[in-house]
Amino acid sequence: MPRPEERVGILGWGAYIPRFRVKAEEIARLWGFEPSVTKALWIEEKAVAAPDEDAVTMGWYAAKSAIKRAGIDPSLIGCAFVGTESKPYAVKPSATIIADALNISKVKLSTDMEFACRAGSEGLRLATSLVASGTIKYGLAIGSDTAQANPGDILELTAASGAAAYVVGPSEEAVASFEGMVTYITDTPDFWRRDCSKYPMHGEGFTGEPAYFHHIMTAVKLLMEELGLKPSDFDYAVFHQPNGKFPLKVGKRLGFTKDKILPGIVTPWIGNTYNASALLGLAKVLDSAKPGSRILVAPFGSGAGSDAYSIVVKDRIEEKRGLAPKVEDMLRRKKYIDYATYAKSRHMILRNV
Amino acid sequence: MQKVYVTAAAMTKVGRHFNLGFKELAYEVVERVIEESGGEAPDYLIVSSTLAALQCHQLDVSTIVAQALGLSGRRRIPSIRVETGESSGAAAVEIAVAMVRSGMAKKVLVVGFEKMTEYPSAKVNADYSKILDYELEVMRNVTPPNYAAMIMKDYMRRYGVSREDLTSWPVRMHENASRNPLAQLPFKISKDAVLKAQVISEPITLLDSFPLGDGAAALMIAGGDFIPPGSEGVEVLTTCSSTSTPLYLRDELASLPATASLRKVADAVLPSGWRKDAAVQVHDSYSIYGVLALEALGFAEPGQGYRVVEELEYLNPGGGLKARGHPIGATPIYGMCELYALMMEGFAGLSFSGSYGLVHSMSGPDYNSRLIILKR
Amino acid sequence: MKLSISIHWRRKETHYRLALTKCRACGRVSFGERKVCPYCGSKDVTTLIPSGTGTLLSYSVSYFRREGDEEFLPRITCLVKLDEGAIVPGELVDVDPDEVYIGMKVEAVLRRYSSDDPYGLIYYGLKFIPFLKG
Repeated sequence: MPRPEERVGILGWGAYIPRFRVKAEEIARLWGFEPSVTKALWIEEKAVAAPDEDAVTMGWYAAKSAIKRAGIDPSLIGCAFVGTESKPYAVKPSATIIADALNISKVKLSTDMEFACRAGSEGLRLATSLVASGTIKYGLAIGSDTAQANPGDILELTAASGAAAYVVGPSEEAVASFEGMVTYITDTPDFWRRDCSKYPMHGEGFTGEPAYFHHIMTAVKLLMEELGLKPSDFDYAVFHQPNGKFPLKVGKRLGFTKDKILPGIVTPWIGNTYNASALLGLAKVLDSAKPGSRILVAPFGSGAGSDAYSIVVKDRIEEKRGLAPKVEDMLRRKKYIDYATYAKSRHMILRNV
Repeated sequence: MQKVYVTAAAMTKVGRHFNLGFKELAYEVVERVIEESGGEAPDYLIVSSTLAALQCHQLDVSTIVAQALGLSGRRRIPSIRVETGESSGAAAVEIAVAMVRSGMAKKVLVVGFEKMTEYPSAKVNADYSKILDYELEVMRNVTPPNYAAMIMKDYMRRYGVSREDLTSWPVRMHENASRNPLAQLPFKISKDAVLKAQVISEPITLLDSFPLGDGAAALMIAGGDFIPPGSEGVEVLTTCSSTSTPLYLRDELASLPATASLRKVADAVLPSGWRKDAAVQVHDSYSIYGVLALEALGFAEPGQGYRVVEELEYLNPGGGLKARGHPIGATPIYGMCELYALMMEGFAGLSFSGSYGLVHSMSGPDYNSRLIILKR
Repeated sequence: MKLSISIHWRRKETHYRLALTKCRACGRVSFGERKVCPYCGSKDVTTLIPSGTGTLLSYSVSYFRREGDEEFLPRITCLVKLDEGAIVPGELVDVDPDEVYIGMKVEAVLRRYSSDDPYGLIYYGLKFIPFLKG
């Protein structure tokens, strides 16, 4: 029996990386980290959203590009999901702002989702399911974060801002089709943020083996088993990227060669964009992958869970690439700022308002 | 139709009157005007204030002023408040003149005030910005000096005028103010000081722009039949006003379309060659507006206004908004008071040999424009 | 709460999408949703949603300081001529003042206009950035 997701594919993808970058060594210097820490994590610089940007505005841009590439009337989009852990409002959907601003159908399912860094991916899975079930024709899933980290925490070297968005719809109209998707979740408390707390906490080493590695490896193995595929059947492998090193390490353990992982790596130059991390990696691969390529994508969210997708690129992708800025364009568009400007931009300086 | 005259005028020094509320400021000028009018109360009070609701938390300021000044009790003098942005004071005069000319009132007291120092400048700036369209401009973070700056840039580009050329305006205004004891900034400045001053919205610097100061000014506007012979004062020949489109709907930035439309009224009312025989007070919240107003009113060809700034003998004799100050709701009334003083007995070291006076006022980038034409 | 919810909310089409008024009588396009064409006075008007791209007509780097401006100064305020012909006032962001030039191609992006800190709403709307090529 065919898998329901085979009826669905990606029609358009969009990326957004803010213009500003702060160097990891600047953060390390300020907080007295031993300088080689940036190399150990493979983090060079991270993207910083401007003071007037947030998960809504960045998600809007990524979604706009995705809709442009999809070439569909936005009023036909039947769901808008925003995965984020930096909601501008604790209560009030980001998704409705983005949907209205992009003139997406008002008769739609729309919500903000939270599952640490994989909520955007959960949104993608749900949108795909809604299309597969015939409930909607097109769906929009966004991952967007102005990732927070406690100043002085090792996490601050990587926590960054960015967004990615996908329009999914009938496979016949797609530029890349889903072959299969699986999810694996457990209660593994590696990273969290309590209600009304400004910055997340994490279990440091505990975020590695029991969390990131265990969940991604389980999900990816499950996917390959279900689809009867092995690592060599994939041309690209994209993983969640909390830093530059983890995706290389998890890929190697799963048996993927480095050359299949590197094209989807973005974190060393923009940081960990949380909900946008793996999805931006996928966008970067879609910007250049040849038709027929098979892509493995494995987002991860703390708390903890991982998805694994197998996606096959189709011929129509070539004509879509030039319709919106590519990830490479966004990587090149950059202006370095100092720690003070970064702190101001992310509202980290205490002020009376 | 009654002939209409300004029969008395008074103004306070413009500045930071922290110890005076709007009631005290109004009291000072109203008392002097009533005294000058032989102690007789007016039969109508018109109050002009632009920011009273936002800066003083006061609605119905005309009634509150009437109450505070003892005009409301047994005399029961009716009152009205007028607000048309930065030109509010000229609108108040416009209405007073219409009331007197029509016979509706014999003597109308016009008082304008503004408290610009009740709050830190960031709040005053935010409130003042609301003279623009709140929904289409202010919410989009566009403010009055930004528009003035873009107009100034367009002017410089269009006519090949340098930034330095346009320092002629503030230098002249400060020179005038240095002879006006009521000016907020009664000192001379150099061209260099203008160029090196803090930037507000480039190319506009602090010295192209008005200071924040409190002030009040008052006038008695009376009808000819009701004035004892020999005390007519200065005649108000006519008032006129106009509105224009928002800046973003204009095909040309470097002009003042509403003001320009008033020029033909002046040309129709006054004899040819009147400009050589006139004192003029134009609205110069920013240097470029003073220059453009001179062009719009025909004192210079387009692109030439900055050249005549030094030549015109009776130009903003009190120092203009730039140096006398711009207590917004009172500003055009200051302009009236200054020309009245000049025409009656001389003002700020000047004695006037001409016959006519023009007071021009506008709001924002000429969103509305008003002209009051005086004759002695 | 210092800022009105309804004043902002009812102008969503203006702020989120730069709604224009197109006159069927004179053909001209003007910024804002209007009942009457500001150019010819005709009431035969319709709303037009522009693509969001245009060219920079004029700009000024502003240090003018209003309450709430602190994080955003200096601002670059501008007039943009949209490809549909209307001129809109607004803000240019993501560019250094010395990189700005008249005639620069720009595109509209959703940003925060203001926020009623610390507990009120965040008000979003379109600003401009230098055009990003696809």
